[in-house]
Amino acid sequence: MTDVPDEPPAGRQEVVLTTWPAAQPAPAAARTLFDVVASTVGLATQAATTIAVVVEHSVGRAVSAPVNAALDRMVPVIATAIVERIDLTDLVVRQVDLGAVVTRALDDLDLTAIVIDRVDIDAVVAKADMDAIIDRVPVIDLANYVVDEIDLPQIIRDSTSGIAGDVMNGTRRQALGADRLVSGLADRIVFRRRGRKLDAPGDPQSLGGRFREDMGGDPYVGTPVAEEPAQPTEPTP
Amino acid sequence: MTTFREYRAVLAAGGKPVHAVPALPSEDEAIQGQRAGFVSRATAAIIDVVLVFVVVLGTAAAYWMLTFIIQPTTSQGEAFSHARVPPVWLLIAYGYALNVAYWTIGWATGGRTIGNLILGVRVVNFRGKRVHWAGAFVRALFCTLFVPGLLWVIISGTNRSVQDVVLRTSVIHDWVVEVPGLTRKEHL
Repeated sequence: MTDVPDEPPAGRQEVVLTTWPAAQPAPAAARTLFDVVASTVGLATQAATTIAVVVEHSVGRAVSAPVNAALDRMVPVIATAIVERIDLTDLVVRQVDLGAVVTRALDDLDLTAIVIDRVDIDAVVAKADMDAIIDRVPVIDLANYVVDEIDLPQIIRDSTSGIAGDVMNGTRRQALGADRLVSGLADRIVFRRRGRKLDAPGDPQSLGGRFREDMGGDPYVGTPVAEEPAQPTEPTP
Repeated sequence: MTTFREYRAVLAAGGKPVHAVPALPSEDEAIQGQRAGFVSRATAAIIDVVLVFVVVLGTAAAYWMLTFIIQPTTSQGEAFSHARVPPVWLLIAYGYALNVAYWTIGWATGGRTIGNLILGVRVVNFRGKRVHWAGAFVRALFCTLFVPGLLWVIISGTNRSVQDVVLRTSVIHDWVVEVPGLTRKEHL
């Protein structure tokens, strides 16, 4: 059995290993002849292989330079000719999954950093239509939010009411207590057991309907005094 | 700190902005918008009348001093003559007129006079809104000329005076001064 590789790698020494199976004993003359023939064939094979390797190296070097030079000249011409005859755009659109390509490209890029590095944001903002942007901003809500956040009502109360306000509220509470005393006494005298109906019509003007949500008023919008429609004339007695 | 996003979410969910919540103790909030009783209203009226009385006296005093500039005198007995002191009936009429004017202006403009402000009450019409000028004038005239009408508040089951019953007005508790919220104008 003979194990010979088809093509030995260039530049390596080839070793041919020849083994013989245990053969039947042959006559001495025939055996000698066989040994001679076998040795000759093995030598010839090794020589041929060596020659082939040497030839390939020398010929390859000799041939590759001109071939490469020829290819360098020809390939661009051929490629240009091919590209001119083919609608590359159409080919790409039809054959390439552009979405996947773009997605992979975007995955690899840090767009934010690129924009920050390469875009003049001030110039972009300078060209923006700020009026249109402000039109979309809920400015009134924003202003009310600021009023609430800084607690403007408390600031106004602190700066205007103070001790006088506390004294007034105390006076009012005392008057309220006296009101209830008098009305309770009167109710007892006239045998009124169900108490008094003290709900007034409409909303207290200064409260904006805060305590009277059952009236359906919008406590947030409120009712500015200055913009109220004219009142109908009161009925005269 | 509430963010603007959270603030808008609260409003969208029907919550109230902070500036719409008055700084009153809860026991006082309950009576806001209810009709005021006799003592509150009578005290407010007395304060107003005292103020008018002071103004009338001041006017008389000013007139008296003015006469000395116009017509100086040396006689001691002449100082308090009728020429220098207006007759009492004129002062009373002047006081009544001043009172009517004062109440009319107070009720038609802010819904309250100084006495009303001190006692935290406000005059509103049958819709719960500010009284119109004509209504305020008629009410002021009625209240000035028929003071006992206020006594009906004691008896009335709805804390109304005779003037309130006739003119369909109410005097309500309204202690806090509103800090107005911002509203979007309907018409530009």
